[in-house]
Amino acid sequence: MSRLQRSGPLVLLLVVLVLVAFPFYWMLLTSVTPREALFRPPYRLFRLDFSLGNYRELLFATEFVRYFANSLIAAVGAIVLNVIAATLAGYGLTRFAFPGKKTFAFGTLFSYMFPPMLMAIPLYILFSALQMRNTYTGLILAHMAISLPLNIWLMWQYFQIVPLSLEEAAWTSGASRLAALRQVCLPSARPGILSVAIFSFALSWNDFTFAFLLQTDRKMFTLPVGLASFVEQTGVHWGMVMAAAVLVSVPTFLLVFFLQRYLLSGLRTAG
Amino acid sequence: MRGSAEQRKWVLATTAPALLFLLVIAYLPIAYAVSLSFFKKTAFNPTMKWVGLANYQFIFEEPELWNAFWRSVVFTLGAVGLQLVWGLVSALLLNRAFKGLNQVRSLFVLPYLLPSIVVALVFQWLLSQEYGVVNQVLMQTGVVTRPINFFGGLGTAMWAVIGMAGWQYGSFATLLILARLQSINPKLYEAAAVSGAGTLRAFRDVTLPNLRTTLIVIALLRGIWMFNKFDSIWLVTHGGPLKAPRRCRSTPIVWPSRSSTSAWPPRPAP
Repeated sequence: MSRLQRSGPLVLLLVVLVLVAFPFYWMLLTSVTPREALFRPPYRLFRLDFSLGNYRELLFATEFVRYFANSLIAAVGAIVLNVIAATLAGYGLTRFAFPGKKTFAFGTLFSYMFPPMLMAIPLYILFSALQMRNTYTGLILAHMAISLPLNIWLMWQYFQIVPLSLEEAAWTSGASRLAALRQVCLPSARPGILSVAIFSFALSWNDFTFAFLLQTDRKMFTLPVGLASFVEQTGVHWGMVMAAAVLVSVPTFLLVFFLQRYLLSGLRTAG
Repeated sequence: MRGSAEQRKWVLATTAPALLFLLVIAYLPIAYAVSLSFFKKTAFNPTMKWVGLANYQFIFEEPELWNAFWRSVVFTLGAVGLQLVWGLVSALLLNRAFKGLNQVRSLFVLPYLLPSIVVALVFQWLLSQEYGVVNQVLMQTGVVTRPINFFGGLGTAMWAVIGMAGWQYGSFATLLILARLQSINPKLYEAAAVSGAGTLRAFRDVTLPNLRTTLIVIALLRGIWMFNKFDSIWLVTHGGPLKAPRRCRSTPIVWPSRSSTSAWPPRPAP
């Protein structure tokens, strides 16, 4: 084999890796570059004069912390409601035969294909009438609209691999159905429940469309909406914006590096 | 089996919460949107008036809808095509055992899971006309003589958005294709080699047929999701390059938000 043929794929692989990694690198580097340096292009591709000034400004001179709290409240609410509703539904769908089960399952998958915008505009009108815009409840419900269908489907799949014999063994030793569900079924479904929690979190945390339409009060902005408003101001302070982008990505980084196993199993079905 | 009355109670208790949520937050809004589309209601005349299909006739005769529709088609085809090519090339390159494969795979999951706002901000910064590092490198290497206004230029905005979508969502294709590649029986390649097939031949006769279903699934799913895309496009272009005529470029998903009479944010009359 010629030298070129052997090293060709390696060089290409390197190019691909640089293409994937460079935006991350540039985001991180910009976030620790002093403000003055950012106003004086051309930039060096490597630099060592790091400064945390952008982060300090972001945390103390903007509403970032409030947006962070809003995003967190919405995400936690979405996780709790999704886990309860999806786990129960998954259990019901796999353990009982009942009329309309097929319709229910089909309807769940079908609603997963709705364009978010098509739901967001009528939700805006409904929530306006119910005085639910700019509330956490409204936002959490809206976020469930995008994550619940997928989560029901995940738990439905997951409960199919939790063996029924475990529960039956509990029943024969005198446990009620509820006790068997709590003590036998739920512990063995824990990985499925964790996936549901992760996806509920990710979809809520990443959502721009719903929060943008529903949360019009600056005090109720979530991180994506708040960050978008940073760029609309004149004279964008890119160092600070990149610091914000880094902090918003932290949960994503943590998820990927600690929980890749769960993510990959659910990836096929994620938006 | 337990009594059927108890079972009915269980079915109700387990499925009712999910059913209720789905009906109220997914189906009700959609049904409301569909029913509203047959009525006329404006800020000056706030009573609902049945107009049948007149609203549909109105938008189908609106040239901007068709412009937006075709732009959506171009965006979807471009973005999905780029994602497939990117996914195929990167998966083939990654499909070998090397140290750090797991780390590299993690790196590839990242863009896909990042919030759209982060991707939009980073790309606006990378491609900025005044301060963008991409323009800087292009200028320094002499590829262009003047910095390009990627997201703001009429000729470049579409390609910049397609490129950004390719970067963000291409890794979805990479991971699915890589998983499929690793499940192809190596004996098939041995057989191909024995019968004298070269690398290209083996790719055409072994790899591609095995990837067919995966590629179709990716194209369909990503096609639907790209056609519906709102956030990424809105965030980098606000429905059209800055200072371009208002009715200039956006996709049907972005279009309603631009066609209101007042400045953004347009709020539908409650």
